Amino acid sequence: MASPGAASARRAVRLPPPAVLAAGAVLLLILLAGLLPGLLTGVSPTATDPVNALQPPGAAHPLGTDQLGRDVFARLVHGAGPALALGFGSTVLAVVGGAALGLAAALGGPVADRLLMRAADVLLALPATLLALLVIAVLGTGTGNLVLAIGIALVPGYGRLVRSEALLVRRSGYVEAAVTLGVPRRSLILRHVLPNSLAPLLTLATVGFGTALIAASGLSFLGLGPRPPSPEWGAMLSEGRGFLATAWWLGVFPGAAVTLTVAAVTVVGRHLQQRFTRRSP
Amino acid sequence: MTTHQAPPVADRAGAVEPAAARPPRLPALLRAGLRRLVGALAVLFGAATLAFAALQLIPGDPVATLLGPATTTPPEVREAIRHDLGYDQPVVVQYLHYLGGLLRADLGQSYQLQRPVSDLIAEQLGPTAQLALTAVLLALLIAVLSAVATAGRRPALKALTAAWELVAVSTPSYWLGLVLLTVFSFQLRLFPVAGADGVAALVLPAVTLALPLAGTLAQVLREGLEAALGQPFAVTARARGLSRAGVVLRHALRHAAVPLMTLTGWLTGSLLGGTVLVESVFGRPGVGSLVLAAVNSRDVPVVIGVVLLSALVFVVISTAVDLLAGVLDPRLGNR
Amino acid sequence: MHIFRPVVARVLVSTVAGSLLLAGCSGQGGGTAAGDKPVSGGTLTYAVDTEPVSWDPHVSTQDLTAELQRQVLDSLVSEDADGTFHPWLATSWESAPDLRSFTFHLRKDVKFQDGTPFDGTAVKANFDHIVAKETKSQFAASLLGSYTGTTVLDPYTVRVEFAQPSAPFLQAASTSYLGLYSPKTLASDAAKLGQGGPVDVGSGPFRFTGYSKGQQAVFERNPDYRWGPQNAAHTGPAHLDKVVVRFLPDAAVRVGALTSGQVQVAKAVPPQNAATVKADPALRLVTREQPGGNYNLWLNGSLAPLDDQRVRQAIQRGIDLDLDVKTVQFGQFPRAWSPISSITPGYDKSLEHAWPYDRALADRLLDEAGWTGRDSDGYRTANGRRLSVQWPQLSANATQQGRDILGQAIQADLRKIGVEVVRPSLDVGAYSTLVYGGKANIVDLAWARFEPDVLWQFLNSASAPAKGGINPTFLPDQQLDQLTDRGRATLDATERGQVYAKVQQRAIDLAVVVPVYTPVALTGVSAKVGGLGFDPDTWLDFYDAWRTP
Repeated sequence: MASPGAASARRAVRLPPPAVLAAGAVLLLILLAGLLPGLLTGVSPTATDPVNALQPPGAAHPLGTDQLGRDVFARLVHGAGPALALGFGSTVLAVVGGAALGLAAALGGPVADRLLMRAADVLLALPATLLALLVIAVLGTGTGNLVLAIGIALVPGYGRLVRSEALLVRRSGYVEAAVTLGVPRRSLILRHVLPNSLAPLLTLATVGFGTALIAASGLSFLGLGPRPPSPEWGAMLSEGRGFLATAWWLGVFPGAAVTLTVAAVTVVGRHLQQRFTRRSP
Repeated sequence: MTTHQAPPVADRAGAVEPAAARPPRLPALLRAGLRRLVGALAVLFGAATLAFAALQLIPGDPVATLLGPATTTPPEVREAIRHDLGYDQPVVVQYLHYLGGLLRADLGQSYQLQRPVSDLIAEQLGPTAQLALTAVLLALLIAVLSAVATAGRRPALKALTAAWELVAVSTPSYWLGLVLLTVFSFQLRLFPVAGADGVAALVLPAVTLALPLAGTLAQVLREGLEAALGQPFAVTARARGLSRAGVVLRHALRHAAVPLMTLTGWLTGSLLGGTVLVESVFGRPGVGSLVLAAVNSRDVPVVIGVVLLSALVFVVISTAVDLLAGVLDPRLGNR
Repeated sequence: MHIFRPVVARVLVSTVAGSLLLAGCSGQGGGTAAGDKPVSGGTLTYAVDTEPVSWDPHVSTQDLTAELQRQVLDSLVSEDADGTFHPWLATSWESAPDLRSFTFHLRKDVKFQDGTPFDGTAVKANFDHIVAKETKSQFAASLLGSYTGTTVLDPYTVRVEFAQPSAPFLQAASTSYLGLYSPKTLASDAAKLGQGGPVDVGSGPFRFTGYSKGQQAVFERNPDYRWGPQNAAHTGPAHLDKVVVRFLPDAAVRVGALTSGQVQVAKAVPPQNAATVKADPALRLVTREQPGGNYNLWLNGSLAPLDDQRVRQAIQRGIDLDLDVKTVQFGQFPRAWSPISSITPGYDKSLEHAWPYDRALADRLLDEAGWTGRDSDGYRTANGRRLSVQWPQLSANATQQGRDILGQAIQADLRKIGVEVVRPSLDVGAYSTLVYGGKANIVDLAWARFEPDVLWQFLNSASAPAKGGINPTFLPDQQLDQLTDRGRATLDATERGQVYAKVQQRAIDLAVVVPVYTPVALTGVSAKVGGLGFDPDTWLDFYDAWRTP
């Protein structure tokens, strides 16, 4: 969501508020789990131990064990990677696609602009979930298609942002001057338009990452994403769903992990937005 | 899920666009309305075209998909089916037929259930509409209460509000649904576990769908109210001795209502996506369950039908909201 | 979500319908809790785990379609659990000595729910409808086999004729797959029968009055019903006013609906909730072992690396099924030793404990087969290739009976002996292409049928997928062909027992199958319900059922 322009008044360098710091710390920890899960747990996420199945949280297993006696904490830690990868992959896809779309619209002349923006309107008119489901219905289920589906569903949002940023930059005095001076188009895009649109794009992507993560884990929860035994939060939650009445820890922790991650990303992302977003014209 | 977040981008440059010089008021409104209508139709046309393209993109032979994998249908029967469905025609002809069908609300035939898609959707629309509308009203109620109660208050209270808004926006709806189900249905047995009969069955799904929505709306409304409270008219009103509540209720709320309405419209239009998960969690019938089953069996015509429906709903709502905003907001109307 | 059953794993049941009445079985607790005396009236709500794709049992293969339409459609005869046939719409019948024709004498007092009287033309219209090309029957037509036609000898006598000897016809005729619609509805609405609702007119104890997809189907008592099967517990109309069937695919939701009293009967209680249901004084858990094929892993003997019998044997012996099945199914499903379940006629008890888990043996077999290398992930290799097998799973019903979790346990066991199991999740189309094309190493399926002849379908080379069958072993074996053919050609119980025992042993010896568990129908039933009938296929029959308020 666009932050109020007034916030950019507080541009001065100062330590972020404690909430942001805490969120950043949580985020780092989750990233660490995603990249180097072995540092946080020595237990294998796929090692089964049927004799100790469905143990509630306790000393031996801090978050309990699942139906096959696998350690839920280990699965949660090892599940961070796949979960983050889904969110990250689709966000990257959406940002790259959006940047291409936005730049083409802003710089490709009025006809291209109209056409592309109408196309973006069409996509924006479709709820992201449904658009993603349509992509999956056409392409089939699976991790790759899931990333693609969410990426495509989120492209138009980023496209609109890049376009509006690019238009602002383009209409700004210095670019107008550069055009007058005859600076070639490509270097104009690369040197001025793109870098100047980048900061808002990346801050938006931070918040958007949370959106993508929720979407991805949701589709994964519906059984349209990665399959067990590889631990992934949405899939874990889906597996734990049948045990709500008997083993609450199977469903509660993966969902809490998603919520925590999204909340942390959102706090950090909004903070970045407030700091880096330029004032509205 | 995704749709519970606010619209990802406020199109700043785009928002400036219509602000060109306008002729006098009434024709301007008419013209704006006309323009919106043409735009809406263009979007629908685009969505239909996109859907047709998706149908063409399905790998494999649609007739094979339609018949299912295990049948040993003779080739001549296959050809007959192909002919019946017009798959032996050139793509352009198929496209025109398809568009013609849409004008007659004919969304094609379900592969799996062998029934008209429009019938299937019509059957499932009731419970979904009920759920979505209840959720929106609930979300608005929560958002207005929360924002009005806390806008311009002490920082501690504001932080608390911001915290609940953050949690509401960050919680995946399917998980929230499962937690509510566990606590209120399985443990406390306050609400039925599943189904769509009666008001009681509506409570948990509606709350699940509404909470993330309420978080977003409350955030926007609160920011709007605070911006309004900072404006000269509000300061003056306070100086004249009006209470905070009075200023909020009499002035600021009206001020912040238009963006809230726009956002609500936007979110309502995209709510159909959120119902997929919520209906799945609560075992409710509806369009979401329909589309999920269709995705699992790759019944693309049904998925496309629902996508087109949601585009229609979205366009209708957002057009209506825009027009209404133009009438209501003096600043917009005077443009 | 699990509306659509897999093509391969679909429970292709040839019903042996006769009602095994709980009320009649003292000690089963059937009628005791609700009182032994039937109560008239009331509504019973039944929660089921899937939803019929087509409601027409003449077309569909789905067991739920057959189970629910049993309430609406009557059959010519009824078969009980002992395999004895009882009169139903036919008062008597005889078969020609060559088993190529069957003559039925029909009841004269039967009326369909639309008032059309039942007679010989109705029988003819139904059977002709089943085999008609336009019907696109996926299963019922195969039950009619070499059907050539029905001759109406007089209004209440019909002769059903076949090109080949058709001993199983009587049994097929007792199933609702060959159930009888009103000829009027067949004439006017044949194409709409699959949609369900009032268009499905039969002569049964209940009328199908309402259907809303994704939510429920409503069946209301047929007050004129006087022609129940002779082996039913009572005569006259059904006790219940109404049966409402709710579609609740999510297991937790289904159980919650049962425990909170929203439904009185719940199908497919997940094993993890069995204890809860049992402990609840207001409920009881009825367990029924499924007849026919167990839940088995079938190994593709034509595709490397499972073309080597030693590798197949290693997989058979390298899975700790005792522990896995007990853990995942919470002790509710018995671990299987034969490809068919123990209640199926011809079951070979001598196989029990004949091939126990033996990790050392499995390792030795793999060593002998030349898979002696190890790669960085710990999997065995030979000539630089990893020992990896593909076992696809159908995304739509992966979670049924905890099979996905069980699959993970099996995966973990095989990892210990150095075998990698890859489990792509596929939709129906991709799955069938892979499996029927013989490109999958392992296929899991359960195929219920109260008949050891299921073994013919799995093991006879004439049943190869290329020939339209379902033999998942892709390994033609002369001995298996001969044995399974012989089993079909005789009705002598002793000889059949011997033949099928050999078939089961041969299949285990060849290691083309790893029996996993016997599916058990776990049905949660409110104590207020009595008289609920279960046929040998574990399906419910509501004709004799009642509910106390």
